[in-house]
Amino acid sequence: MSELYDAAIIGAGPAGLRAAIELGKRGARVIIVDENPYPGGQLFKQIHKFFGSSVHLAGQRGFLIGQELMDSAKCLGVEFWLSSAVWGITDHTLAVLHEKNTHEIHAKKIILATGATENAISFSGSTLPGVLGAGALQTMVNLHRVSPGRRILIVGSGNVGLIVAYQMLQAGIQVAAVVEASDSIRGYGVHAAKLRRAGVPVLLRTTILAAAGRNRVETATLAHLDERQKLLPETAWQENVAAVAVAAGLTPLAELAWIRGCAFGNSAALGGFIPLHDADMKTSVEDFFIAGDIAGIEEASTAMEEGSMAGIAAAQELGFCSTEEKDREKKLIYQRLETLRSGSFGHIRQTEKIKIFTKMKGEFDEVRIDL
Amino acid sequence: MKCGLIYDGCLSQAETASVLPAAERFAKGPVAVIECIQDIPCNPCEKSCPHQAIIIGDNITAVPRLQADRCVGCGLCAAQCPGLAIFIVDASYSATEAVITLPYEYYPLPKEGDIVMGVSRSGAAVAKARVLKVRRETAAYGTILVSITVPKKFMHTIRSFRALREADKRIVCRCEEITETEIRLAVRQGANTVKDVKLATRAGMGACQGTSCRREISRIIAEETGASPEEILPPRFRMPVRPIPLAQLAAEEGKND
Ligand SMILES: Cc1cc2nc3c(=O)[nH]c(=O)nc-3n(C[C@H](O)[C@H](O)[C@H](O)COP(=O)(O)OP(=O)(O)OC[C@H]3O[C@@H](n4cnc5c(N)ncnc54)[C@H](O)[C@@H]3O)c2cc1C
Repeated sequence: MSELYDAAIIGAGPAGLRAAIELGKRGARVIIVDENPYPGGQLFKQIHKFFGSSVHLAGQRGFLIGQELMDSAKCLGVEFWLSSAVWGITDHTLAVLHEKNTHEIHAKKIILATGATENAISFSGSTLPGVLGAGALQTMVNLHRVSPGRRILIVGSGNVGLIVAYQMLQAGIQVAAVVEASDSIRGYGVHAAKLRRAGVPVLLRTTILAAAGRNRVETATLAHLDERQKLLPETAWQENVAAVAVAAGLTPLAELAWIRGCAFGNSAALGGFIPLHDADMKTSVEDFFIAGDIAGIEEASTAMEEGSMAGIAAAQELGFCSTEEKDREKKLIYQRLETLRSGSFGHIRQTEKIKIFTKMKGEFDEVRIDL
Repeated sequence: MKCGLIYDGCLSQAETASVLPAAERFAKGPVAVIECIQDIPCNPCEKSCPHQAIIIGDNITAVPRLQADRCVGCGLCAAQCPGLAIFIVDASYSATEAVITLPYEYYPLPKEGDIVMGVSRSGAAVAKARVLKVRRETAAYGTILVSITVPKKFMHTIRSFRALREADKRIVCRCEEITETEIRLAVRQGANTVKDVKLATRAGMGACQGTSCRREISRIIAEETGASPEEILPPRFRMPVRPIPLAQLAAEEGKND
């Protein structure tokens, strides 16, 4: 495997797929690698209709969006390696476990679109079988069609917790409650409203103290918190549940960027440490781009825009598109991103993104373009 | 606990009022009620409307606005909204009933003609409803539109439904055929004495005059209100305590003359 690709993309989520499409349609030779057997990243297990903009295919169910993006990329000649994990990176070379053997992929440009990983929390009994991430539960139920049991508990009221809870109801699994430590619902109200109509309580200022059972989860102990988030032990009660799904946020999956020597910044609102990048999605390392949740936890629509941006910027550096074309597209992309990053949920991400761009600019003067 | 969408996942009364089209519009026939009040980045409803009755505009986080005079109540927006937050309310259906068309994504699907339990935004049983229509729109990617008829006074309260449960069918007052759920609903709506329940539901007004259901009704009230059963007094008894022919009453009247 010594052929040289114009671009290698790691991660076939919405960000990676959009990057592949932009490069492919300009004539670049592109390979995209993903450890999952299906395209779409987070999308392929999403059976709900995506919120977002109709220009980003919102309104369709997530797994269909992933399929549609993959089909477009394939038509453009993008090469797909699914069920293939990238385990190492040096310079312009990736080490990939593909069909049981390690292969090397060489590429002039590398785009890292590896998404994010779920945050775990620890409490008494949190290592018992039956305590799992909400995303893992989704994979189990939506993909493998395995039920975790008759009745479950969801910890965390962000969109992931709310959406996974709804999907469990659709699978015929009872949801005892969604519990949330803070004093308002974190995700979108419409997602909470679906659960409430089905009679599922969303309990604010409530936390999980323990999960218990002989060989697996049989009960969860919950308790309320006061307005200063202090535990009120006297309020503790037990729920009989077969599983506890934790939806406590996501962290960008950036090991490969650390290994490659990217400079990092930290933003709590964007999920923690993220590789510094400019508005072209270029990192501090030459020929190395990022896009999507790895560049800050957001949504599929923003991931697609960032993926397009990274793809176009790489295509321009490779000589597949002019600077004028890139700048024209970039302007449109940032117009859309700006509206996506507005409103009471989005504006903080806009502010934080600009901080990251600014930090990148401050530390590396070769950064050419700002917003 | 504070109420409102971000606190309990249900629109508060004020929030509900803010999304309802004008009363005159309801009188004219089916219209969309868009229960989407947060500035989230989402706009499929705008494009779904063939009559351009929903406006979001270039700023995708703007809250959708309904131009109620353009809306014909076709339901395409309800079928496509990813948040399942749009309902079509037809207050013109009949003098006593309204039709609510809502998005539905659970199996088993109801069948036309089924009697179901209409539930509120918080999932509480409100009143029985009848399934009028079950329809599938291609543009909805699998979401089903279910139309149910509900008592008109609940057209802004009922927002989903569930299959009838055993308690919804279990008769407590045999003479008037009043179910346990109907009694519980009356209690939740403020009837906390046996007499109130009787006035609200007719339970205990039949041939046996409450002989067989009175205790059950007291038990249910105690359960619902948390009162102890001894506190729930029987209703005030009136003569006749047994059914008697009307002629006897007439005769009694005569004696007093
Ligand atoms: C339950 C849930 C519901 C959501 N609902 C919505 C919604 O309605 N609307 C919306 O806009 N957004 C939604 N999102 C968010 C959205 O899915 C993500 O923001 C989006 O998928 C991020 O895209 P991405 O391409 O950056 O990463 P991902 O989609 O996470 O894709 C990353 C891919 O990289 C692969 N990968 C990672 N590391 C490696 C490696 N070393 N080797 C090979 N492959 C690797 C992974 O297997 C994965 O396929 C939801 C998320 C969740 C969890």
